[in-house]
Amino acid sequence: MNKSKLARFSAFIVLLFFFIGSLFPIYWTLLTSLRDRLDIFAKVPKFFGGNLTLENYRSVISDETFISSLKNSVFITVLATFVSVLVGSLAAYALARNGRFKSRRPFESWMILLRALPGIVLAVPLYQMVVKLGLYDNSWALVICYAAINLPYSVWLMVGFIQGIPIEIEESAQIDGASQFRILTRIILPLVRSGLGATTIFVAMLSWNEYLLPLILADEGSKTLPVYVGGFVTSRTIDYGAMAAAACLCIIPIALVTLLVQKQLIRGLSLGAVKE
Amino acid sequence: MRSQQKQFFERSDGRTLKKWQIRKTGWVYLIPAWLLLLAIVLVPMFFSFTSSFSDANLMNSDSQFIGFDNYNQIFKDSLFWEATRTTVIISGMSLLIQIPLGFFLAVLLNMELRGTALLRSGILMPLLLTPVAVGLMWRLMMNIDNGVINGTLHMFGLPAIDWLGDRNSAILSVILVDSWQNTAFVMLLLLAGLQNIPASPIEAAKVDGASTFQVYRHVILPLLAPVALVVVMIRIIESIKLFDFIYILTSGGPGTATQNISLLDFRYGFTFLQTAQAAALGIIITLSLTPMYLLWRRANRI
Repeated sequence: MNKSKLARFSAFIVLLFFFIGSLFPIYWTLLTSLRDRLDIFAKVPKFFGGNLTLENYRSVISDETFISSLKNSVFITVLATFVSVLVGSLAAYALARNGRFKSRRPFESWMILLRALPGIVLAVPLYQMVVKLGLYDNSWALVICYAAINLPYSVWLMVGFIQGIPIEIEESAQIDGASQFRILTRIILPLVRSGLGATTIFVAMLSWNEYLLPLILADEGSKTLPVYVGGFVTSRTIDYGAMAAAACLCIIPIALVTLLVQKQLIRGLSLGAVKE
Repeated sequence: MRSQQKQFFERSDGRTLKKWQIRKTGWVYLIPAWLLLLAIVLVPMFFSFTSSFSDANLMNSDSQFIGFDNYNQIFKDSLFWEATRTTVIISGMSLLIQIPLGFFLAVLLNMELRGTALLRSGILMPLLLTPVAVGLMWRLMMNIDNGVINGTLHMFGLPAIDWLGDRNSAILSVILVDSWQNTAFVMLLLLAGLQNIPASPIEAAKVDGASTFQVYRHVILPLLAPVALVVVMIRIIESIKLFDFIYILTSGGPGTATQNISLLDFRYGFTFLQTAQAAALGIIITLSLTPMYLLWRRANRI
């Protein structure tokens, strides 16, 4: 084996090591979720097989709170993503097309601040406001909150994607007499749809994963899946099998999305830096 | 077409009609975004600011102005200084692990070996997972009695480690889990940065007889620096924001060993029910982000 082949081989082995390290916790959680108490509490860990059972999933799925949390999560994620991407795209259009209006700089500043601010800083006053307005434990309130806190991601991603479209296209459309709004809906949006897809998927992932806001702003009525899943550790005796099953149910949609549209998600994650 | 375009330029005092129009109407597109910001960010922040000078808590609604008392109390609170220290330790240690490791992995992936596309997908997986689920997974594995990590140590005749129950190992566990989830982010952005470096300066250096190490040290690293700066900035911000998985993994414990500034703010507000004090801490956190914020403005976008 010559030197460069050896280098390539060792690089591959190192990557393989990190690959296994990255996936093992997921594998182990999945395995635990499929096991009975006996195997879960085995003194010597069994890395493969054993008696596999769906009992843990059955117990989680038969829990009414799980079903309502799942429904809430889907409802809030879909609507919040829609609002955030819609509002973000409109703002991004103005920012991307070099508009030099007065509110530009303050808007950008607030986007940066919002991106940097820990959720709890907003959650404390939001809790008081929501209680005062009688919107505590209201799914719609969560939709608006999620949409707002993910706005920086929608705006920045869309600015990058819109800037990728040559401005000449718009200019010639304008010569042909199209109004600005028509240009946006008929020309820009169709051209930017893959970027729009990447932004939507990324913001949906952030919304699905959100924990702090529903923990503070909601109770049983609009409890979301992460809050339900997190609830397993606060009970005195932890049912490890059911806890693992709940964790798996929470990440299954993400795993599916990752497998189906990984490229889009990577574009979002890398803030548009990775194009592919 | 060409003649039409000329007319179009002539009609708009030296600038294109396009630019002239958006200059006037651009702000209209921002109205919905401003409304969202107003409701969920501006008003709450203003509310937080005013209540930080009052004696409000979750019990009494008619509060009085008490000046800087809340701020004084926070600065006298040993919990605040401990949380600050914890936040700095978690931030610093995470950076020390994630930046070099992420760079190393990016360099390996950039070699574009056969089969590494699959390996890359696997390595990215933790980045996408719900932080709450991540906390649960590691709690499962780090359990002192029946966790798989101690089980494996036991198989090799090694003593069990109290991953989450001991002050020092708990903070290391938090850093470990954070690195498990987020090193892939560093890797991803640096990989994108590496791929965007033009080939010509690298080849020129090689022609001049530079070794691989010299090429990295003198050509690639300087070209990668702007991306690396953005990555460091984002990672620092994210480690200050850190809440979800710590809350699940240790809830800030044992005692207050892993209670960072976000968790402390949560405690002030929702365990001690000192709303005004929580608001004041929120203002302190916001102000302390100023350097990050200015850096971000300079780095332009992202």
